[in-house]
Amino acid sequence: MMEFIEWLASTSSSVALRESLYLYPWIESAHVLFIAIFFGTLLFVDLRLSGYVFKELSITEMNKKVLPLTIIGFILMCLTGFLLFYAIPIRNYQNLFFRIKIILMIIAGLNAYYFHRTMNRESKTWDKDSHIPFVMKFSAVSSLLLWSLVIISGRMIAYNWFDCDRQPQSEIINFLTSCIVETELYESLDGI
Amino acid sequence: MINLIYKISAIISFSILSLNISSHHAFTAEFDANAPINITGKVLKVEWINPHAWVHVEVEEKGKKTTWMVEGGTPNTLIRNGINKESIKPGTVIVVRGYQSKGKLCLPRCIANGRDVTFPDGRKVFMGSSGTGAPRDGADPRERR
Repeated sequence: MMEFIEWLASTSSSVALRESLYLYPWIESAHVLFIAIFFGTLLFVDLRLSGYVFKELSITEMNKKVLPLTIIGFILMCLTGFLLFYAIPIRNYQNLFFRIKIILMIIAGLNAYYFHRTMNRESKTWDKDSHIPFVMKFSAVSSLLLWSLVIISGRMIAYNWFDCDRQPQSEIINFLTSCIVETELYESLDGI
Repeated sequence: MINLIYKISAIISFSILSLNISSHHAFTAEFDANAPINITGKVLKVEWINPHAWVHVEVEEKGKKTTWMVEGGTPNTLIRNGINKESIKPGTVIVVRGYQSKGKLCLPRCIANGRDVTFPDGRKVFMGSSGTGAPRDGADPRERR
């Protein structure tokens, strides 16, 4: 994996991106904007599904209007997010918060998959009903919670508290971030 | 209910807006305002990267060599302030003022936040980012007084 990441970092477009004067900050800003579109619209979908707002609107109608925006926001958010990763692959790959974020995204993705599969199958029976099945409510609230945590951990990537070039870290942190620490460093630590 | 949601979202968006003022990452999270540094050394290399450029400086003191990794602003802000690949070539002897990171073990390198850099010709340039919450030490010419 590390070889692949190192190769990614050595590609000329990755170098151009991380050294760019305008492109990187533009992508960074666009990423935040698309997060706002994605999460802002998802908020309404999930709040409707958990039965808190717009009860007079049927779920199918709500989804038809709002979900396309969520999907557009999601695609653009992922695209810009990938470019941000691609600009500084090694630092991101070895960043603890980045790894937490990826795990949370996988869980959020599975939750969304389960949720939409069930909804497409059964929502007609409770479309306008005020009694939305508990699992669906739970899934909707979890979705909001998970995506909030994704955004928070994404924000935390900026901090270098657990970075490899900042030693000493506890062994568990170095394990979780796949940091390779030279043994001389630990020998010199004994002297302190 | 909807009213309440409007109110909550207004509060959340306002707090996010105000958080944004503190730039990419806040100074106090990583650096120690009570540990100012003033180092003179040779530039080893410059990592000309977003979102923060890193200047590696080798400082020789009493025969002992220490490497400092000094964080600067974005490549864009550095260029605007008059620091480019030509002016900060490896080998250039520079004076850097800034603040050390909270961890001070210097393993494998010392880490610091750079405020300004003085070139061999005496030119002194701000090398950080504005509005990070760093101490108001007069290094940033755009600082609000």
